[in-house]
Formats: sequence, C-alpha cells, structure tokens
Amino acid sequence: MKPTLILVGADKGGVGKTTISRSLLDYFARKNVLTRAFDTENPRGSLRRFYPGITEVIDLSNVAHQMKVLDTMETANVPVTVVDLKAGNLSYALDVFERIGVLEAARNGQFNLGLFHVVGPSIASLDEIGEIARYMSGVQYVLTRNFINETNFFEWDEATHKKYFAQISKAHEINIPKLNEMAYEQVDLAGVTFKDFVDNKAADGTPGKFSFVLRGYVKKWCNEIDEEYARVALVQELLSGRTANPRS
Amino acid sequence: MTQPAVYIICSDQHRNGKTLLARTLLDYLLLEGRDPFAIDADVAKAPLRGFFPGRTALVDFETIPGQMKLFDTILASPGRDYVIDLPALQTERFFAVADDLKVFDALHEAGFRVVVFFIVDKRQTSALLAEAMGRRSGIDLAVPVVNKYVGSSWAERGYALGLPELNQSTFAAIGNKRVSLRAVAEGDAEGLNQPQQQEVIAFLSAVMRDLSDVDPIMSLKGLKT
Repeated sequence: MKPTLILVGADKGGVGKTTISRSLLDYFARKNVLTRAFDTENPRGSLRRFYPGITEVIDLSNVAHQMKVLDTMETANVPVTVVDLKAGNLSYALDVFERIGVLEAARNGQFNLGLFHVVGPSIASLDEIGEIARYMSGVQYVLTRNFINETNFFEWDEATHKKYFAQISKAHEINIPKLNEMAYEQVDLAGVTFKDFVDNKAADGTPGKFSFVLRGYVKKWCNEIDEEYARVALVQELLSGRTANPRS
Repeated sequence: MTQPAVYIICSDQHRNGKTLLARTLLDYLLLEGRDPFAIDADVAKAPLRGFFPGRTALVDFETIPGQMKLFDTILASPGRDYVIDLPALQTERFFAVADDLKVFDALHEAGFRVVVFFIVDKRQTSALLAEAMGRRSGIDLAVPVVNKYVGSSWAERGYALGLPELNQSTFAAIGNKRVSLRAVAEGDAEGLNQPQQQEVIAFLSAVMRDLSDVDPIMSLKGLKT
C-alpha cells in the first residue's frame, strides 16, 4: 500500500510539537500500524527518548540527512513515517522538502503527505498559515490546536480564522484535549509512550508502578484524541487501506 | 471468608447521618473480626478520622493527588474492607470520576465487591437519586438508608436500611471523639450514663442486624443475575 509521510511542525517552540508527534505515533501503535520517526531537533532529539527503537535524529540542513527521509520512504516497508520538525521556521523545512522533491513526489502520488501544523495559544500563529499556504498543494493540512497544557486558549475569531483557512484546500482542524499536569508529568518522567503508561509498562518492558488514577486519565485522554485523529481524511485512508488488506 | 468490599457512604444532602453510619459500619466490621480502613473525604472537618485515628486516610477528592491517594491506596492493598465517607458535595464528582477511570472494573478485578449506602433525605429527588444508584453499573449492591431522625422520601419503595432515632443527649454524647460505639457494645460505659448506654446498644443492634442482612441480600441478587 501507499506509504504515508506526516510532518509535524510549528513556527514557535513550546507549542507541544513533540507531544503531538508522540500522540500520533501512539495512536498508530494502538491501531497496530507500524511507524518510524525522524526527529530534526538535532542533536537533542526529545522524541527519541520516548521512541528510541524507531526514531532517528537528523539534521535538516544536512543534505545526506534530508535524503534519508525521501530515499527510504518506499523501502522502509513501514506504512507511516512521522517527521517532528525543529521548532521555528516551518516554512524553511517545507522549502527544504520542496527542493529535495518530497512535496513533488507526494503530488505525483508516490505517497500521501500530511502536515500537522501545531498552533499555540496566540492569534499570531495564524499568520504562519499564510506563509506556508503556497506549499500545501497535494498536502493534507491539519491545523492542530493543542490544549494539552492549556486551560485557556486564544480567542478564536471565526472570521479571521476562515480567511486564513480558505487559503488551503483539503484542510482539517483538530483539537488536542487537555491532560492533567500530573498525568502528563508522570508519563514524561517515566519516558514511556502514552500507550505503555496506560498498560502499566515501564521503559525497560518490566511491569510499571504507575498510578491507577493517572493511567485512567491518560487512557481517557487517548480515547478523546482517537476521536480527533479519526476525523482526518489522511488517517481514515491509511486505516481503511489497512483493513482492506486482508489479515495483514 | 467473605469477599472484601469497598463501602461507599453518600447522599445528595448534608447532615443526614453519613458519618454516623460510617462509624457504625466500621465498628460492625471490627466486631466481625475484619480489618477495615476508613477514608474520610471531608478535608475541612474530617468528621470520621477522629473516631478511627490510625485507620483513616483524609482525602481531598477535588484534587488529582487526592484521587490518587484514594484509589491507588485501595488498589495497592486489596484484601481488606474500605469504608469511604463522602461529603454530599463530592458525591456526584466521585461517581463521575469513577466512571471516567473505570474504577469499579478495577475494584472488581482486584477482588472487591462495591457496596453503596445512599442516605435518602426528605426531598423527593433524593429517593429518585437513590433508585438511580441501584441501576448504576459496576455497583454490586446499592442500599438505600433511611435515617429516622432526619426523615426520608423513600417511603414504601422497598427495602431500606434504617438508622433508629437517638435522643439528643445520647447523640451529643457519642459525638465525643473518645466514645467508641464498639466499646459500648462490648460493655464499657465510655462515659455514657445508663439510659444512654442502653439506647446506643439498641441502636447498634438494630443497625448491625440490618448490616448483617447485606451479605445475604447480595448473594440473592447474585443468584438472580
């Protein structure tokens, strides 16, 4: 089946980009879809801490590293590739992908391409949409409002929002619901995936000693996220392609 | 040996005998030779803790750490009984959180039965809420409780556990944190005068007789389903 490339990016740091990448990888794991990930937060790579087995840290300004993403799309034999783009300069990253032919390949139908654009709690982040609109042909655009750490989000002005949104076809918007701080911290401290936290498994695979209450909250949060991701056409296509493939 | 239980004592109204029932239940379990642990969810007043120091945890259910203290404690030490005394204001929230976190499933998996005592106050809504409690999933038995002193809208709706009326002076006397109902039942005066002692003993034997019916009722219910 056709591979899917998902870019997760934001123009601002601290809007929860890595959390969204984690939750996507987690979502696919719960749906039994194999994934791999690239973390462009070189050399730190906070995504790799949670997904050491499937994450490679790359430097997007390095040509050899750039090619790694594209060249292995067909051969990796993994249906989903998630790229966690370094904070800031989303348009730079898209420009790189345009230059090396990633966007072109997607337009030609070699794989499905989606951008999860994570916006923070300020209206200014809507300006980013204007800057990246020109790259979005052939790309499934998903505006991702991240409420995970926020009690109050920006005043979402429908008129302004529609104006920006109209620039991009095939656009979706999803909300990442709030998870209580204590649960979020404990998952982070444990350095495990949300799924393993719910299943009470420690990072080394041994039974975890996580709080039943916090596991319950994370599980509820995962269920809420599942509903959000299930609304995205790219994800629907991916999952239906899987079920159409008998007993794979 | 009887399966351990989590007993939840609650109501939609204040000041209608929840803590008195919790005390009586704890003393009943202790007299039965069991080792119950109490959870007092009223952090402001801590009404239950004074009566059972050393076997009561004070829990603020409004906070996540409070919820962890409650459920994680119970699930980490199964095999004994727990009595939860919930303030009226937290009853709704307690059951909402229990549903969100699938608490009753986890309690059943850990070998507990879940028994709810709902004190039916005078308002009609109270009786309706008590009936709704009986239809909730995850609860093995919901026992409506009628406190004779407060009055109740339960009327003739079926079985209810009764709390007999105590006269003012006796009620005030047993409110002293040093009075143990269990000790009175075993013959200690605990500072009460003769008529007060007799009244307490009559009260305890009536409530404990009803409490001892709870297990057979639950077995019958189990047979029906």
